[in-house]
Amino acid sequence: MNISPDQAEEALADIQKIMQKTRHSIASSSFSTSLMITGIIWLTGFVCTQFLTGEIVVYIWIGMSILGSILASILGSRQSRLVRNPAAGATTKRVLLTWLLLTIYCLAAIVVAWPLDGKQMTIFIVLFVMIGWTIMGLSLLFTPVWPSVILVALVLAGYFFLPDFFYLIIGILGGGGMIALGLIIKYRW
Amino acid sequence: MPELNEIVHQPVRLRIMAALVALEPGNEVDFTYLRDLLAVTDGNLGAHLRKLEEAGYITVNKVFIDRKPRTFVTVTADGRQVFHEHVAALQSILNRK
Repeated sequence: MNISPDQAEEALADIQKIMQKTRHSIASSSFSTSLMITGIIWLTGFVCTQFLTGEIVVYIWIGMSILGSILASILGSRQSRLVRNPAAGATTKRVLLTWLLLTIYCLAAIVVAWPLDGKQMTIFIVLFVMIGWTIMGLSLLFTPVWPSVILVALVLAGYFFLPDFFYLIIGILGGGGMIALGLIIKYRW
Repeated sequence: MPELNEIVHQPVRLRIMAALVALEPGNEVDFTYLRDLLAVTDGNLGAHLRKLEEAGYITVNKVFIDRKPRTFVTVTADGRQVFHEHVAALQSILNRK
């Protein structure tokens, strides 16, 4: 079988294009939606924390967390309709174990550093969630990790430079940013 | 020196193989997702998948999910190797330019 260098170049370009399109469509279908869900939870939770006081804030966070877990489960099942791995049980266990251990380590860090105020506790939780995001992205699920770097930078900037508006900054810039990024990935990327 | 593979080189089959090789090893992709991704018809995709399955490059797995028939496609280890050899052959031809 003989082909010209031009035909070879065309075939290689076609291969590259399809491989990129496949990776992108699989990654963006779940990544953009999970980004938007997390953004909505952050936006609602942190803006309420900035302006409300008392137990209502705790109830809002619990409600948003439950809603987020349900939506994440629905998203996971929707993604498995497109691509599935019959031997994915091991990966699922690793993902769950990673989050379980990170939660325990986060609680341990909070206990060691206690007493903490609300803002410091938020920083601890956000940092551990972002560490989890990075581990998922780089080692287990192969999703982009750069949004976590931007979020950590925003949260730290808010904590050190605008402490009075800390929750509002996380809510609007962090949560709103995630929603915007999710929409961009879904419709423009 | 790597050689071109005639079965894989057909344009639609080459795109099918590229899409499947882009998945994580062991992952299966839904038939309808592949059809939409490659912008081909059901019949066209089915015919090319049969050809690749006969050659042992892919596996077609028909299952029932919620009582509905679903078809998943995955690339075999042989298929992966043949595809990489084909790409290497294309690159060596390009290098002669």
